[in-house]
Amino acid sequence: MSEHVLNNIRTRRVVREMTDEAVEREAVETILEAARWAPTGGNLRPIRYVVVEDPETRRLIRLVAPGMFQKAPVLILICINWAIIEQHKLPHTDRTSLIDVGGAAQTMMLAAHAIGLASGPVTSFSKEAIKVILNLPGSYSPEMFICIGHKAEVARAGMRGWKKITWRDLTHWERFDNE
Amino acid sequence: MSENWVLTETEAVELLALLISSARIQMDEPAHYGPLRLLTATERLSAMMLERSSDKSKAFLQDSIERIPEMHMAMSDVETYKDGLDHLCREVAGCLLRHSGAESASP
Repeated sequence: MSEHVLNNIRTRRVVREMTDEAVEREAVETILEAARWAPTGGNLRPIRYVVVEDPETRRLIRLVAPGMFQKAPVLILICINWAIIEQHKLPHTDRTSLIDVGGAAQTMMLAAHAIGLASGPVTSFSKEAIKVILNLPGSYSPEMFICIGHKAEVARAGMRGWKKITWRDLTHWERFDNE
Repeated sequence: MSENWVLTETEAVELLALLISSARIQMDEPAHYGPLRLLTATERLSAMMLERSSDKSKAFLQDSIERIPEMHMAMSDVETYKDGLDHLCREVAGCLLRHSGAESASP
């Protein structure tokens, strides 16, 4: 069973080209339910999600999101609700909620992959324009879109990696020497 | 102006939105993403104008612009990326000459 989970982690890819095929509402709800289990600093749960399926709204979003190459049938916007942070007397410089965004994003992308869907994160968008288009409450800060859909047969390649890396390249054991 | 319009006002505003958003997000992104954003806008403009464009532009839009996604793959290889952009510059210069009529006038 654990190998199944690890395989899911190893085989997930960022997908930048998707088909027009619709995504079932049940699948979207499965992904959102998985995100509910993502870790959250201090158990504050400041993360909120906005799901966009309407074609015209998705089209407008792409126009202010130069990093959104996908024409995904479902967009899930991850927001931080700063009102919750303020309720707990934490400053806006607190980075915990941004870490929560990353945890939620990865959890959703793994959940999507587990049920046979493609996904891709997008942070290159105008936050101010997105607030207007989605009429977000003032305390909501849009942080990242997760595009959900079906992978196209001929997919747009990702940016080629700078070099092949292994986990060993990324890891240091114990204390750093002074050298 | 005797030439046909290739963009509607709505399409032009959509392109403005993309360019303005690109300018803003570029403030937070690595400098080498600049060409990527400009080329993304180029792709979208090309897609908008393709259907109404004349033969003077059509081949350029279909053949050269549609190769831009392949160019993005080479972003980490700066020299290849530059070569791709130089090629595109030569192609667009040829397109300019066709529009100006200078191409047919040259010996």
